[in-house]
Amino acid sequence: MLTTRRCWLALFFAAALCWIIGGEWVSIHAGVPENHFIDSLGGLSFAIAGVIAADRRPGNALGPLMFGYVFLSYLGNWGNLRVPGLPVIGLMGGQLTGAVLAHIALAYPSGRLQTRGRRWVVGVIYATGSGVCLTLLLTFDPRASGCPCVAEPAPFPSRSGAMTALLVGQRSGIVLVPLFLAAIWLRWMRATPAERRDLMPLWLAVFLLAVVYLLSGFASPDTTGDPFAYLIWELQAILTVGIPAVFVWGLLSTRLARSAVGDLVMDLKRPLGSGELRALLARTLGDPSLGLFFAVDGHDMATGHDIWVDAHGRWVSLPESGTGRQARTATIVEREGRPLAALVHDKALDSGLVRAVAAAAAMRLENERLHADLRAQLDEVRASRQRIVEAGDRERRRVERNLHDGAQQRLVTLVLSLAMLRDRAAADPELVRSLDQSTAELKQAIAELRELARGIHPAILTEEGLPAAVEALADRSSVPVRVQANFDGRLAEPVEAVAYFVVAESIANIIKYSRACAARVELSRSNGMLLLEVADDGVGGADVSAGSGLRGLADRVAAVRGMFGVDSPPGGGTLVRAEIPCDG
Amino acid sequence: MARSVLIVDDHAGFRAQARELLAVAGYDVVGEAADGASGVRVARDLSPDIVLLDVQLPDVTGFEVIRQIASEPDPPAIVLISSRDAADYGSRVARSGARGFITKAELSAPALAAVLGDAGC
Repeated sequence: MLTTRRCWLALFFAAALCWIIGGEWVSIHAGVPENHFIDSLGGLSFAIAGVIAADRRPGNALGPLMFGYVFLSYLGNWGNLRVPGLPVIGLMGGQLTGAVLAHIALAYPSGRLQTRGRRWVVGVIYATGSGVCLTLLLTFDPRASGCPCVAEPAPFPSRSGAMTALLVGQRSGIVLVPLFLAAIWLRWMRATPAERRDLMPLWLAVFLLAVVYLLSGFASPDTTGDPFAYLIWELQAILTVGIPAVFVWGLLSTRLARSAVGDLVMDLKRPLGSGELRALLARTLGDPSLGLFFAVDGHDMATGHDIWVDAHGRWVSLPESGTGRQARTATIVEREGRPLAALVHDKALDSGLVRAVAAAAAMRLENERLHADLRAQLDEVRASRQRIVEAGDRERRRVERNLHDGAQQRLVTLVLSLAMLRDRAAADPELVRSLDQSTAELKQAIAELRELARGIHPAILTEEGLPAAVEALADRSSVPVRVQANFDGRLAEPVEAVAYFVVAESIANIIKYSRACAARVELSRSNGMLLLEVADDGVGGADVSAGSGLRGLADRVAAVRGMFGVDSPPGGGTLVRAEIPCDG
Repeated sequence: MARSVLIVDDHAGFRAQARELLAVAGYDVVGEAADGASGVRVARDLSPDIVLLDVQLPDVTGFEVIRQIASEPDPPAIVLISSRDAADYGSRVARSGARGFITKAELSAPALAAVLGDAGC
């Protein structure tokens, strides 16, 4: 299949070559005063570019357009052959070459006129050229110029009509070239950085050519009699050589970029640091803003879509394919039918190059994906642990509130009832004694229930915040505790709860085990962290791994992404220290 | 003349017992309210000498009720009550402007008189 296509291309190229050489030969023999070398170079360069375009981008219209340009531009040369019909066809061909060039420039590199505006501009240029062609076909009579080469005269022979059509064809550039430049400018403004990089050389050449076309609008249509018109004609020819050259350069630059994939393969063999893989891929693709994301196991429960994370394991959403300067698109890299990674890149990047880079880096991408998956799972475990602790705290607050509103209230009401009964039974000392005893028992039960509720969740923590709650703890402690806090604002509920229970458990341990004479609690906020220290001058020897109390505190602190440590050398007192993130 | 009392507490059982206990002790319980908003309204309407005010109410805290009642001309003496300890509310009790605090289980005419600084009613 490939061979057949290339055979056809070779045939086309050979035909184009014959068309060019033949056309120049005719011009030379007709004595046309032009630079045949530059002309043939222009034609040849378009033919070569057409072959390369058709070979590299099968299905892309640019190759056929290049060949079309060669065909049309040499019709004029063949028109000098003075064969019936050819002179007028030659003149007509010259009217359409500008339209084909505009078509190539605005369709590069996809081969399609992608917006209505571009289609409209190219359509207007084609329509103007076609109108001139039709007028020539109807009015041009070569015999009027002394050419006996026409079998049948034109339907409406008119020298002035034909010359007017030629003049309109030439002067229309004054309107059409600015229109074309406006379309180019609009496309430039909307182009992504990568598109601009690709378009720059071609459009520079096209811009210069357009300026020359614009100047040609002020020159005489007779290029043989007017030196200025001849100069413009030759300038067009020279610049026409440049356009296929930059076009071919543009196509080959993709090949050069693909050769960078080889360098990438070598780079991927060495150990890579964090984020280095993304940087390598970005450099190879020439897109510094490249995004690299990974598919982790499982699906989004809400949408059923794949879950994507960045290199740090944070959930991300892939961008929708958009348009305009900031347009990004995601190329999904798969392995064994399963999404592995996504490269989010400039939409204008060569998709083949992106796939080649992705294929070269597949193994590394798999490794990075596993790391990202692990980080995502770790984050999820941390988050779920935090949610569990927070849910526990909420439950504690609810239980304390229920005790306060339920059992405590009923017992209190009972105490008041007993008090009134006592007043009424004043005449019966035995009953009064019995009621006093019951009331005392009941008050003791209420006190114990109050203590239990306070242990579950202290109301003062909810009401007054951490420093006040810690002060209250110190007030109730049998070991003197000095409290120092450098802030008095409120913190997030989970932070206050965790910090409170660290202090409460530490003071409880001091009372139970430390044989300390004094203790101190320090609370301070610094750089988004709550620093908490509980120290005593007791016997030391506390071990986090030995009991569940300190271990539980360490777990609670870790659940809110904090740090927990205990320094308790035998005989040297105990220092419990925690650092808890408290901002955001 | 008996001193008038308004009881503001969301527990009807407690209100009933407190009303009876205070009435026996010679206080004139002129009204009851089950939440903060109606407590403020009734206090304004009845102008009691004393408001027995629960700290935890369904709509606002007793501290907020004190702030609103205290802004009235010639405000009553307000005594906070709670089934919790005063220590459970930290310094807010002291800062609240209440005349004193009585744990509900300890509520009695002598306790109330002591808080109000009365020799009796």
